[in-house]
Formats: sequence, structure tokens, C-alpha cells
Amino acid sequence: MTLFPYLVALWLFLIGLYGIVTSRNYIHLIGCLSVVQSSTYVLLLAIGYRAGAGAPIFYSHPPGTPAVDPVVQALVLTDIVVGAAVTALLLTLAIQVERHRGTIDPEALRPLQD
Amino acid sequence: MTALFAILLALAAMTGAGVVLSREPRRQAIAIGANGLVLALLFLALQAPDVAYSELVVGAAALPLLFLVALSVLRRGRRPR
Amino acid sequence: MTIRRSLFVVLAVAAAALAVGGLSGLAPFGHYPGPYGDIINAVGTHQQHVTNMVTAVTFDYRGFDTLGEEYMLFTAVTGVALLLRDARGTAANARPKRIRGRPRLGRSEAVMTAGRWFAPVTMVYGVYVVLHAQLTPGGGFQGGVVIASALLFFYLGEGYRQWRETVRAPVLDPVEAAGTGLYAAAGFAGLLSGHAFLENVLPLGTTGKLVSGGLIIVLNLAVAVAVAAGFALLFVEFLQETRQFKGERT
Repeated sequence: MTLFPYLVALWLFLIGLYGIVTSRNYIHLIGCLSVVQSSTYVLLLAIGYRAGAGAPIFYSHPPGTPAVDPVVQALVLTDIVVGAAVTALLLTLAIQVERHRGTIDPEALRPLQD
Repeated sequence: MTALFAILLALAAMTGAGVVLSREPRRQAIAIGANGLVLALLFLALQAPDVAYSELVVGAAALPLLFLVALSVLRRGRRPR
Repeated sequence: MTIRRSLFVVLAVAAAALAVGGLSGLAPFGHYPGPYGDIINAVGTHQQHVTNMVTAVTFDYRGFDTLGEEYMLFTAVTGVALLLRDARGTAANARPKRIRGRPRLGRSEAVMTAGRWFAPVTMVYGVYVVLHAQLTPGGGFQGGVVIASALLFFYLGEGYRQWRETVRAPVLDPVEAAGTGLYAAAGFAGLLSGHAFLENVLPLGTTGKLVSGGLIIVLNLAVAVAVAAGFALLFVEFLQETRQFKGERT
């Protein structure tokens, strides 16, 4: 089962998408969006992993020792922090929607009704 | 692939499904905390301590707080009966 | 809704079949094939005199991407501040009252003690994580969010009123902007001395000491300040929403 981490990433992506499609509450939808984001983190870090290797920090051992890929780690760690700030912005938008329209149900807020 | 990876990946899949299937937003905030904790352990097992730092603080502290405060703000408009 | 759900399941199964076909083309898990990680691990310590390769990639080899990420963070925090302050009016620093009709819950001694004890410890730990970016696991992004979570412990320990007296939005706004602007300004140091934008032009120092890496130290501090102040501002704006201001109609 050498594909298991990639399959877990795919599972997280699809179930997060399922939550977004069938959600009745904007706050729940934003939580499902964070699950979709975490699936990309798992995929990237699983690609960069090398069996039997250590972290790419060479403080206590010399730079020749086997280590995992540092480029994907740099991508993922900035992504996590920025993803949290964007989630805060989405929550603010949900608060604004509730103030103006009185409901946070995506079904009741569809624009082409009436 | 060792047993540690198998257990952590299975836990990550289960807590991710738990976040989606908790339709009540207050319950979902706690599920997000649990998912953040499991993901931080998974990233640590994948030899990425920097990423585990970020995910632990963001997923277990910042995101549940933002969700709970947003829920508390949303209840403001409704007068208690 | 049932139609949508079943349609989604059908499409998801089809997409999953395609995706599994694509994912099986990747290298098996544990056998990383690509050259870039190995190249950076081999030459990074010699070129930049740092021992944390992730920091070297974030702030030097891919420093331009980090500039974009930091401005994304800045834009998100600005958006939150604009939207919430616009609805609240200009009473950003007025004394807020509790909302009528809400239950007034007492705070437990255990939570207060834990918050008061953990807040300074976490703050010192966050500063340690920021300063040791180029030596051990850590960096501006991680340490910045740890410092912001120390402010949350402070909120748990002291309560809303004392927390708002200490952590003020008019102080956090210029601090966050200064951190974000310092990153771009430090990039210009390279241009002014005849090199490329964001090139490492400061003296590199010795590997293994706290002062090593040249421009990486400056960029790291800029990111830490911007992230810590940005997240603290997010918490302040959100928690202010739970109070009621003078002249505001609910």
C-alpha cells in the first residue's frame, strides 16, 4: 500500500467537497473548506518524504546525512498560516451576510430565486 | 510503510470526516481542534517539525477560537426568549 | 438536495477514478526522487551559513514567494479590520459594554491560573522560536503565531476588560504594517547595492551561531512581527464583536 497517503489526501479532498456541496450553514461550510486545504498539505508532505531520513535541519549532524525535501515544507508552512487568515476573512463575510440578510443558510441565499 | 504512518493517516481521515459530518457548528469547532492535533502529529512523523509547529498553533488554537467567536457574534441578533 | 447529493457522489467516484490513475504515476511513498531537495540539502549550509534548510528555502531561495504570502496575510487582516470596523463605526477604542440579555458567566479559578501562568511562558517560547529560525526548527511564521496564542492565554487569564486595555488596535495597526513593509524594504537593500532584489547582501556570519545567514535574519524578524501583530489584530477585531458599543443598534 505505497499509495495510502495519497489516497488519504484524495479522501479528505472529496469529503470536504461533499461537505461544501451539501452544507446548510455557512460556518459549517468554512470548516469543510479548511479540511479541503489540509488535504493538499498531506499530499505535498507525503511526496517529499524519504524513508529512513531525518528532518532537513543540520544543527547536530553534518550536511551529508539523508534528509527529506525542504522545499515542500516551506510551501506548506506559509500556506497554513495564510489559510488561517483567509478563514478569518471568510468568517467575517459570513457575519456580514447574517447582518444583512438575516440567515446563513446557503439554500435560502441563492441569488436567482424570487 | 510503518504501522505509525498507517495509524496516523487513518486517524487523519477519520477526524477529517468528523469535521464534515458535525453539522452543528459548535461541535465542529472541537472537531477542527482534534483534526489539527492529529495533523500536527502526522506532520511530525513525516519529519517536518516546522510544519507541525504551524499546524498545531493554527489548527488547535487559532481556528477553533475564530469559529467559536464567530458563532457567539452570530447569536447576537436574536433576542433571547 | 437529494438530486444534488447523488449527482455529487457519481461525479466524485468518476473524479476519484481519474485521480487514482494520476496518483499511481507518482513515485511510491518514501522514495523521493526529485533533485531539488537533495541539491538544497547539499549546498544550503555552505552557501547561506544556516543549518535550517526550510528557513533557507523560505527566506532566501524562494524569498519572493514568501513576499507574496506575507502580503496575502496582510490583505486578509486588512479586509477583516475594514469590514468589522465599518459596521461598528469609529468607536474602535470606546469602552464597550456587555450585551443586554446575555448570561453573565463567572470564570473559574483553574482557567484564570492556567492562563496567567502560561501566557509569559508561551511568549518567551515564541520569541525563542523566532530567534532560532536559522539553527533549529522554527521561523517567523511559526513563532509569530505562537506569540499571538500567548496573547490568547493572557485573555483567558485576565478577562476582556484588562486584555483590551493592554492589547490595543491603534498599536497593532502600525506594528503590522511596519513588519510587512520591512520585508519589501529589505529586498531593496539588494537592489541598492548592485545585486538582485532580495539577494543576501549582508555578511553571512558563522554557521551555528545565532547571528548567521545575513539578510535572512532581517526578513525573519519582519515576518514574525507582521504575523504576530496580524493574528493579534484578528483576535482583537473578532472579540470586539462580542460587545456592544455606544450608538450601535442591534
